[in-house]
Amino acid sequence: MNEEENVHHLHHAITDVMQAWGRSYEIVIVDDGSTDHTFPLLEEIAKRDTHLRVVKFRRNFGQSAAMGAGFELARGEVVVTMDGDLQNDPQDIPLVVAELEKGYDVVSGWRKNRKDKLIIRKVPSTIANRLIRKTTQVSLHDTGCSLKAYSRDVVNKISLYGELHRFIPALARVEGARIGEVVVNHRERKFGQSKYNLTRTFRVIMDLTTLNLLLKYLTKPLHFFGGLTLVFNALGIATLLYSAFHTAENSLATEELNVLMSLGFLLIAAGINFLLFGLIANMVVKTGKKRDERLHEMAALNHL
Amino acid sequence: MPIETQISPRAAELPARLDDDEISGNGRAATMPKISVIVPTHNNGSDVQAIYRALRLGLENYGESFELIFVDDASTDNTYAQLLDLARRDRQVKLIRMRTSFGEASALDAGLRHALGQKLVFATARVRVNMQSLPQLLRKLDDGFDLVVGWRTPRQDSGVNRLVSWMFNWLMQKQGNLQLHDINSSVIATYRSVLENITFYGNLNVFIPVLAARQGYKVSEEQIEQLPGAFRKSVHVAEYIQRLLDIITVIFLTKYSKKPLHFLGFFGIIFTFAGLAMNLYLFVYRILGFGAIAGRPLLLLGALLLVIGLQMISIGLIGEMIIYTHAREIKEYNIETVVGE
Repeated sequence: MNEEENVHHLHHAITDVMQAWGRSYEIVIVDDGSTDHTFPLLEEIAKRDTHLRVVKFRRNFGQSAAMGAGFELARGEVVVTMDGDLQNDPQDIPLVVAELEKGYDVVSGWRKNRKDKLIIRKVPSTIANRLIRKTTQVSLHDTGCSLKAYSRDVVNKISLYGELHRFIPALARVEGARIGEVVVNHRERKFGQSKYNLTRTFRVIMDLTTLNLLLKYLTKPLHFFGGLTLVFNALGIATLLYSAFHTAENSLATEELNVLMSLGFLLIAAGINFLLFGLIANMVVKTGKKRDERLHEMAALNHL
Repeated sequence: MPIETQISPRAAELPARLDDDEISGNGRAATMPKISVIVPTHNNGSDVQAIYRALRLGLENYGESFELIFVDDASTDNTYAQLLDLARRDRQVKLIRMRTSFGEASALDAGLRHALGQKLVFATARVRVNMQSLPQLLRKLDDGFDLVVGWRTPRQDSGVNRLVSWMFNWLMQKQGNLQLHDINSSVIATYRSVLENITFYGNLNVFIPVLAARQGYKVSEEQIEQLPGAFRKSVHVAEYIQRLLDIITVIFLTKYSKKPLHFLGFFGIIFTFAGLAMNLYLFVYRILGFGAIAGRPLLLLGALLLVIGLQMISIGLIGEMIIYTHAREIKEYNIETVVGE
C-alpha cells in the first residue's frame, strides 16, 4: 500500500528478471487499500502488460489478508512472494525458485547482510528469529524475509488469517512441508517510508505464543487441559488433606480452616473446569479436518 | 425461518416476464425493479397506510422502478390484514408474513431473499420517519456511496432515549471509524452486493453501517425528517442492557474474532500474574517466618485470580482452535476489483 514511487520500478525489475530467465510467469500485485495513486498507476501498467494482475482491497486489511488473496489468485506451479518496497531484489527470484526445485516445499530468503538500522530492527529481529526457531522447530535464520518461494500444494494447504503471514514456514511445517533457505540480497529503501516499528515486534512475540500453543496442542487439546486439571486437582486435594490432618490434631483456628477448605474446593472446581474445557476443545478439533487427514492428502499430492 | 405466506403476484410470473423483457427490451423496466424497499412491520396497524402512501409518493418522484416488500413479523393487530389488502390492490407490493416473531434482522433477511432490486432500502416501521424523503438517501447513493444512513433530524424522542442514542453513536464511532450522527436509525439505503458481504443476525441489523464500514465500503448519511408523536416514552432497561451486549458482540466480532487469544490472553495474563504475585508474596512471607498464612484471605484471592486468568487463556485457546480449523471457510478481506485476467 502507498508504494506509489516503487510501483514502476518494481514492475520493471521483475519483468526484466523474468524475461531474461525465460520461464512463463504472472505477477500478482495486491493493493491493500492504498489511498494515493498506487492503484490507478497499477491499472495503467496492467493495461499494457498482460502478465500483471492487480487486486484492489476495499480498505487496508493487513499483510496476511493480502498474502491470502494473492495465494488464492495465483495460478503458478511455484508462487514467489515479496514486499512492494523493493528491499528484496527481484534478481533473487530465480535463486529461490531453483532452490525450491531441489525438492523443497518452502524456500525462504535469508538477508544475511541486512541494510537496516542496527538497533531498532536487527536486534529485535535476531531475538524474534531465535524465539521462532526454538518454538516452532523450523530452523530458519530469517523468517521475516518476505522473499519466499512456495510449491503449489503448500499454497493450497495453508490458510492465512490474523497476522500469521509471519509464520508461514511454521504453518507449512505442520502440514509436513520440507523447508529450505537461501542467502539473498537486501537493499536499502529507495522510496517511501519504512512501515516497520518496534511495537510490531511485541505483536510478533504475542502471535508466536499463540502459534506455539496452537501447533503443540491442536491435535491433542486434552494434553494441555488435562495437565492443568491434574495440577489443580492435586493442589486442591493436598490442601484439603492438609486441613483435615490439622483439624484432627486440633491445631487450626476456625478462620484458618475456613480459608484452607475454600481454597481446596476452589482448586478442585478449577481443575474440573479445565477438564470440561479440554472436552470442548476436543469436540472443536474433531469437527474440523483432522491433521492426519491433511497430512495424508499432502502425501498423496506429493506422489502424483 | 418459516415464512407463512408470501403474496407476490410478480414472483410467479417472473420467468416469463424476464424472457419477455429480453426479447422486447423496449424499456419495460417494471419487470425487474431497480429498487427494493424492505419494511419490517410489527403491530404498526395505525401507521401502515401512511407509510405505504409516503413510500409510493417518494419513489414515484424518484423515477426508478421499485417494489415495496412488507415483512410482517407476526403482528397481532390488523397490520397484516391491511397489508394483505394493499398487496391485492398494488402489484408493486410484496407481502411476507413470519409464522412467529423472529426479530428485525430475520425480517430484513427474509425481505432480502425475496427482493429483486439491486438497490435496497431498509426502513423499519418501528422508527417513525417521513418515508417520502427516502429518495434523498437514494440520490446520495447515486453520488458514489455504498451505504447511506438516514439521520433522523430533528430528533423527536424523549431525553433519555436521545442520551442513550448519543452514547451508542459515540461508542460506534470509536469502533467503526465512522463519522455519523445517527447510526442506529435503522433507515438504510444500500446495494445488494454490500449486504451480501455482511453477516447480520439477531439484533445485529442495527450495526449494518458499522459492519459495512469495517469491510471498506463508503458509508455516508443524509438527513431525514422524523415524524412527531407516538415515540416511546418509557425506558426499557432490559432493552438497553441487550443493546450493550450487542455492542460488545460487534466489538469482538470486528476486532478480535480472528485472534481471540490476543484479547483474552491479554487479560488472562494480567489476572494470572496478579494471582501469582499475591501467592508468591505469601509464600515468601511464610518461608521467612513472618507468620502463618492459612488464615489470610489474600491466599484465596490470589488463587481465584490465578484460576480466572488461566481460564481466560484457555477459552482464548479454544477460540483459536475453532478459528484455525475453520479458517479456510472465512475470508478476511473484501476485494474491490481485480484487474487483468
